[in-house]
Amino acid sequence: MTSGTLIREARLRARLSQVELSERSGKDRAQIARWERDVVQPSFETLRELVRACGFDLETTLVPYQADTRHDARLQKTLQRTPQERLGAMLKARR
Amino acid sequence: MAGVFDPIAVLHALEDQRVTYIVIGGLGRVIHGSDELTGGIDIVPSTREENLRRLGLALDELNARGPDGKPPMLERDLGRQPVLELETDAGELKVVPEPAGTRGYDDLRRAANREPLGHGVRPSVASLGDLARMLAALSREQDLEPLHTVRRLVELERERSRGRSIER
Repeated sequence: MTSGTLIREARLRARLSQVELSERSGKDRAQIARWERDVVQPSFETLRELVRACGFDLETTLVPYQADTRHDARLQKTLQRTPQERLGAMLKARR
Repeated sequence: MAGVFDPIAVLHALEDQRVTYIVIGGLGRVIHGSDELTGGIDIVPSTREENLRRLGLALDELNARGPDGKPPMLERDLGRQPVLELETDAGELKVVPEPAGTRGYDDLRRAANREPLGHGVRPSVASLGDLARMLAALSREQDLEPLHTVRRLVELERERSRGRSIER
């Protein structure tokens, strides 16, 4: 999850345009677009303001985390492939 | 996983009839790099009248039938249920005019990309962000793992593509 996908997900679930979110949050529309594309990242406080402007909130709690390196390695491998190769590999694995 | 599944045949039939649609669901996630297995295709069609007529022709070509074994009547069936589940000669096909958390085709098409799958097939596939949005909106236990994978793929893609800066 990136801050950009979180902002975009909140905005679209609230059925807001970037202009509407800009008006609600007081943030510049072009900056919202850059945040959504993860060109730059907002601070945590700004992220929370944007999500709240969409009618949601961020529930932040600390939970144990351990990187799943094996899963990451599998995903890294599939990302090296073309879409056609990914589909082919999945169909082969189904057999 | 059992059963016939020939996604290229389904996509070919859709493309032959020039149907406007976006691939979502498990197949969309696999095309983006998810390591899950899937045995069907989920699509979001444009619900414009002419497109539904073309979709109907493609479904005829695929010998699509509903749970009652009968060919679907698209306009009637799509008005009655949020997901039209069909069996075709090439595997399962779900037609979802308005997936959870979205406003349907026009909402998804902006971030969708055409992905080359070989055999001359280049379907439009929903973006990873939109695939995550749909799973999150469903709030189902069974979707937690694919949702985690999609979100991790977004992170890995971003890490690959650019450096980062923190800005207030």
